[in-house]
Amino acid sequence: MTATIDRRTFIKLAGLAGAAGVMPIRGALPLAYGADGADAAQIIAGKNPTMIVHNAKLGVMETPLAVLREHRVTPPEVLYNRLHFPVDGSGKWMATLAPAEPQVAQAWSILVSGLVQRPKTVRVADLERMERVKVTSVMQCAGNGRSYYWEKAKTPGSGWKHGGMGNLTWEGVPVLPLLASLDLSPDASVRFLTANGKDVPPVPGGADMIKSYPLAAPQLKDAILALRMNGRPIPTVHGGPVRLVIPGYYGNMSVKWLTDLMMMPEETPSALMQKTYRMPLGPVEPGKFTTQNLTQQNSDPTYGFRIMSVVFAPLEGETVRAGGVELKGVAWNDGLVPLAEVRVSLDRGNSWLLTELDASDGPYAWHHWRKRVELPPGRQEVWVRAVDAWGRAQPLDGLTTWNPGGWSWHGVDRVPFQVA
Amino acid sequence: MRLGPFVAAALALGAALPAAAQIRLPAGPGVEQVYARCRTCHDLQYVVDGKGLLPDQWRAVLASMKDYSLTLPEDERERILHYLTTYLGPHPPPAAPADGSETHAADGRAVYQASCAACHGAQGRGQPGFYPPLAGNPDLWKDGRLPILVVLHGLAGPIEVAGARYDSAMPPFGHLSDEQIAAVIGYVRSAWGGAPAGRAPEPITPEAVARQRGRAMTAAEVHAYRAQAQ
Repeated sequence: MTATIDRRTFIKLAGLAGAAGVMPIRGALPLAYGADGADAAQIIAGKNPTMIVHNAKLGVMETPLAVLREHRVTPPEVLYNRLHFPVDGSGKWMATLAPAEPQVAQAWSILVSGLVQRPKTVRVADLERMERVKVTSVMQCAGNGRSYYWEKAKTPGSGWKHGGMGNLTWEGVPVLPLLASLDLSPDASVRFLTANGKDVPPVPGGADMIKSYPLAAPQLKDAILALRMNGRPIPTVHGGPVRLVIPGYYGNMSVKWLTDLMMMPEETPSALMQKTYRMPLGPVEPGKFTTQNLTQQNSDPTYGFRIMSVVFAPLEGETVRAGGVELKGVAWNDGLVPLAEVRVSLDRGNSWLLTELDASDGPYAWHHWRKRVELPPGRQEVWVRAVDAWGRAQPLDGLTTWNPGGWSWHGVDRVPFQVA
Repeated sequence: MRLGPFVAAALALGAALPAAAQIRLPAGPGVEQVYARCRTCHDLQYVVDGKGLLPDQWRAVLASMKDYSLTLPEDERERILHYLTTYLGPHPPPAAPADGSETHAADGRAVYQASCAACHGAQGRGQPGFYPPLAGNPDLWKDGRLPILVVLHGLAGPIEVAGARYDSAMPPFGHLSDEQIAAVIGYVRSAWGGAPAGRAPEPITPEAVARQRGRAMTAAEVHAYRAQAQ
């Protein structure tokens, strides 16, 4: 799980991570494409132009799997991104990998308030002096994989493939102990933590990106006010100088540029909490259920990751040499219990082979799976499926969780490739 | 992270978004309202990505936009909905060759109401803190080219108008025809007064618009151009 580190160890770690961060991207890369020519580097300064752009104005982009698979910890240059308000006009400050200027970062303050007797202000300079923990965790957009739902019926939103995710190392101050230490005296009715960040809607009165979490949720115990990503000050576009990072939760829950924490009896009424980023509790059908039918009663916020696995090799359309072929990829869940097994099938689900699983980066990180198989020349298709210790498994047919917002795709990944 | 010279240069230029500028929608009644209303918060890629949504889903999408402060008069809402469900629904009609620019011939007032009034207001008064006024805005008479460039390529970057600061990004309206752009600038110049005294402004012609259309400028570059325009 998380480990406490002192400042000196941290500096050493930061140096190592820095060296890893400049690792070159190997291999032939697909040509970049954007809406109509703008590449990722033009939209967010410092991003690699090979990123696949989904929405230029909102800086929405994903990583080609051929790039993503090259790194055990995803470098910021190739990390997916999703913002909720435009990066042109007054939101331009968000659109860079450069971290905040040190004096801006040091003076940054978070107002901790809500239904409490004594609201407090915490500055980043204060957080820098506190004991920090480190956690490697998957960051993933709740819309990751949405385009696969479109085989059944179109949903609104960007057509993410699998590249709306990364595996990141965060360092910061644990949230719950910090709240306890502030002597806030919250009211007995307090059940939720609400977080808001510096970004503001481009239109007066528009919904703000505010999120709430049950204080009793198990992942909150591992939530941190993160000051470092991959050993460095957090790139601005990814939420620096301080981001609330909740390991095991979909990315929309980890509020960037944190300015407010509130202890409240209820969730925020923001539409970005109550109307979108929500999964229906049961199966729903296109034509009978739209995003307007989602309510607090019939849906859940996109909190913890659904269990998932993805094939990194071979990739779709690749040709591999006949004989011994190594199949590999990653798997993860919400971090609450270990993955029990990851299996692959080469006969469309009739038989399943156990893979070797490496969970050494921790419960919230990518688990690397691999399996060596003998394959004759011809067309092949590999399926991969993860199951965890609670028996939670990926659906064989991912379309069974079709939902009108296209959230939380976690169907068995099916990848056709050639053996020659 | 150390920024290389390339990144530093990109930062200096600001977020230039030529991509968003060029997304074109299928022609059809209501397309002007989509161009005018839907690019304040996101580019048209979201609209294009929604191609194939069922009518009730498009209705839900438009209803959800209320949460992001899109308030539409009933007739305009129905017009947009009709466009989305028809031209970006599951069974769109075959694409027309033209891009829809001709639907408003060259009636400057009609172009203004369809394409500009959503942000700048029916009377050109703008919206304090968000969209600058056009009524009495001196940019309309600057060097004859500036208003054309702003309409064609957009404008992104902080500006000051009548002592107030604005920092929203205006999207490009290059989907309008040369005639429409000339007409709408003529309308905006004449509708609410504000012409500089003693100097008859050179009228904006479709030919003048055509000459600027070929320039591949970003909204940020128009902002830089504006800074030196007389």
